[in-house]
This record gives sequence, structure tokens and C-alpha cells, in this order.
Amino acid sequence: MASITVDGVTKRLGSTIAVRNVSFAVEPGEHVGLFGPNGAGKTTLMQMLSSLSFPSEGQIRIGGSEVTPDATDVRRSLGVVGHRPMVYGTLTARENLRLHARLRGVDTDRVEAVLGQVNLRTRASTRVETFSHGMTKRLAIARSVLHDPTVLLLDEPYAGLDQRSAADLQAILEQFDDRTVVLATHDLQRGAADCDRALVLVDGVISRDVRIDGPDTDALETAYDRAIDPAGSR
Amino acid sequence: MSDGIAGYGRVVLEVTRKDLLIELRSKHVLNTAVVFALLVVVIFAFSFARSFTDVGVVGSGALWIAFVFAGTFGVSQSAATEVEYAGLDGLLLVPVDRSAIYVGKVVSNTVFTTGVAFVTLCCTVVFLGFSVALETVPVLLVVFLLAAFGFTSTGVLIATITARARLRELLLPLLLVPLVVPVLLAGVELTRMLTEGHLSWQWFQLLLVYDGLLFLTGVATFEYVVEG
Repeated sequence: MASITVDGVTKRLGSTIAVRNVSFAVEPGEHVGLFGPNGAGKTTLMQMLSSLSFPSEGQIRIGGSEVTPDATDVRRSLGVVGHRPMVYGTLTARENLRLHARLRGVDTDRVEAVLGQVNLRTRASTRVETFSHGMTKRLAIARSVLHDPTVLLLDEPYAGLDQRSAADLQAILEQFDDRTVVLATHDLQRGAADCDRALVLVDGVISRDVRIDGPDTDALETAYDRAIDPAGSR
Repeated sequence: MSDGIAGYGRVVLEVTRKDLLIELRSKHVLNTAVVFALLVVVIFAFSFARSFTDVGVVGSGALWIAFVFAGTFGVSQSAATEVEYAGLDGLLLVPVDRSAIYVGKVVSNTVFTTGVAFVTLCCTVVFLGFSVALETVPVLLVVFLLAAFGFTSTGVLIATITARARLRELLLPLLLVPLVVPVLLAGVELTRMLTEGHLSWQWFQLLLVYDGLLFLTGVATFEYVVEG
């Protein structure tokens, strides 16, 4: 059984169709990159996968259960890193993680282990509002893996990071390679290094589904260029 | 089922505790609301105290004006905290009925608003000479608590809707105050009656019924309000 099944999903935002009749499946343990230019519908699709919004048409199933507002078993299996960290600036890193641990009924001892995994143990007692962008991203990852989810949804995890912070983050994410991962990004190089398969989303439609073999991104770049500019005018 | 109820209660408790901790640390609502309450009372003292023979009317007016502004500021600030780092999205990912988040926020905002109302009451007693018999203070606190509960039941919902709007400071009171008029009416009337030494259960009943209505509406609709 596929870990994630997206079947004929359309999302309307007012008069705009952000995602149009999208279908794909992700196998357990597979790492899928969702690539596309700004405004392609990646975040809208990720929000629907995360159960933070719902399709206007079609159906999403995660671990066999449909993603609906009351699908608590789906949310139990999901770890989500969004554009924004989903924490509280006034609280420290440790307080934020303890809050989420208690909300999910996770043993608070796990907080220290996860802080270590994302290299934040020395800054655990510092308020998040004083954190750099990279540290906030690492905290967001810690929050997302606290309950040991089987599916990780990462929306632009490298956005706004310098090369070194992005490399650090990539090394941290490698610790969670055994999960099913959907990663939305427009960074082809980094995305290709993290994923086995690429879906190219353009204007809310999946226009390419490419298997990625190794670190060579030529095939992905060609598919991407053809998807966003079919006439080859660039 | 019991796990579901325990999980629901846990989320209510944690959301309330988190809001109180954030407020204790930042003191945004407390400082602003208390200063505002003081200003209202002092301005009332300068403007009306000499021209009004009935201090009860002036005191009650100052009390409930401060209540409305403090309550509005409280729910607005609470919603802004959720938007700042998208903390609310993190809460929405927790595998529990999402109305638990709403209930937790109503409880924490009720605590803030009741606290500010109590501080305002002290200010009206000191600066306006508003006299309240000591034995009626607990009843007055219950009135504050019930009014705060009704006010924040609607306030949390509307503040969540308007939190991302450009004109949220204008929209929130514009949408909220008309909906809580019965709560304010009952609060003002009950305060007046308490200072006069008698009490009408009809106003209490109105307050209780309207509180229940607002709260249940919030519980039933929060899911749709937070959907992206």
C-alpha cells in the first residue's frame, strides 16, 4: 500500500485554481521532491498533505486514511516543516519542544534527544525570538520529528539559508532518511541530492514525474526546464 | 474514547498553560490593559466625578469600558502571538479535535480579562470612590468571570478570523462588540444591581444562556475558521 495517495486533487482559492487535478502516489520510504517555480502550487499542495487545508475536489490518503479535518490518525503519522517554524518566539527552544511533547503525549525525555539531533542542546534555554534563521529551521525540524512520524513533509526547508547552514540542515535531515519524505523546493541541486524521484509542478499541474539516479541533476534540470518552458524560448 | 477525552483535556490544559506562560513572560496584555484601565478611570475621575452625583453610574461605566477595551486587546494580542511564528499551525497538527485549541484559548483569555477587570475595579474604588460592599465582591467577580467567558468565546473566534487581515485592529471590535452586546448589558445591569444591594437572577440567566450559546458556536465553528 502506498504511503501517500493523491487522487484527482484540485484546490480553488477564490477564483484562482492553485492546484488542478493532481494525482500521484508515494511508496513507503520513498523520498519525493516537489519542484516548481514560485506560484506553481507547491505550498498549497503541501498544506493539503499536512491537513492544514483541504482539497476542493479529490482525495488525499496517508497511511490508508483519508486526510479530513478530524483525521487524527493521519496527523499522528505526519511530521511537518513549513515555511514558518510553527513555534512561539517568547518561549525557549526547550519549552517549545516540551509543549509539543506534552500536546502529543510524548515522553518529555525525548526532547533532549531531539535537541541533540538538531545540534541545539547548547541553545535549548534561549528564547526562539533571538535565534538565527538557521537555528529556527533546526528547531522546526526538531518539533516535526518529536513524535517519531513515519511521513515527513518539508516545505522549502533550505529557503533563506546560506550555503553552510543549508549543508548543516541537509546533514541533519539525513538522519531521518528511513521515513517517507515529500520535499517541496525550487532548489534543484539540493532537492536532487535528497530525493529518489521528482515531480515538477507548473501552474498547479504535475507536468513531469522523473526518477533521480544519483547526484547527477542533468536529467532533472532538463525535465524541469521543459516543464516550465515547453516552447524552449529561454 | 477515554484516551480521546484525556487527549482533549491535555490539549486544553497545555494551550491554556502556554498562553499564560507567554503572557507572564511578555506582559503585553497585562501591562497595556492595566495602563489603559488606569487611564480610563483617571479620565472619568477628571471628567465626570464632580458633575455626576451617582458615583455608581460613573464607576460602572469606567469599569465596563475598560473591560471591553482590555478584552478586545487581549484576544487580539493572543491571536497575533499565534500568527507571529505560525504557532497555531503547529497546534493544528496535533492529533486531537481542533476545538480543544479553541477551548484552551478561551480559558486563558478569560483569565486575562477577569484579572484586568478586577484591577480596574480596584482603580475605580480608589480613584472614583466607587463603593462596593465587601460581601458583594465575590459575586461581582463571578459576573466578571461570566462576562469575560462570553466575551472571549466570541473574541477568540473573531480574532482568529481577522488575525491576518490588514485592518484587523478596526475589524475586530467592529465585528466583536455587536455580538457581545447582551453580555455587556447583563454585566452592566448586574454591576448596578450589586452596588444597589439587590440582584436579578434574570440577568444572570441571560448571561449564562448567552455565554453557553457563544461558546458552543465557537466550539462548532473553530474548525472551519482555521482551515486554510
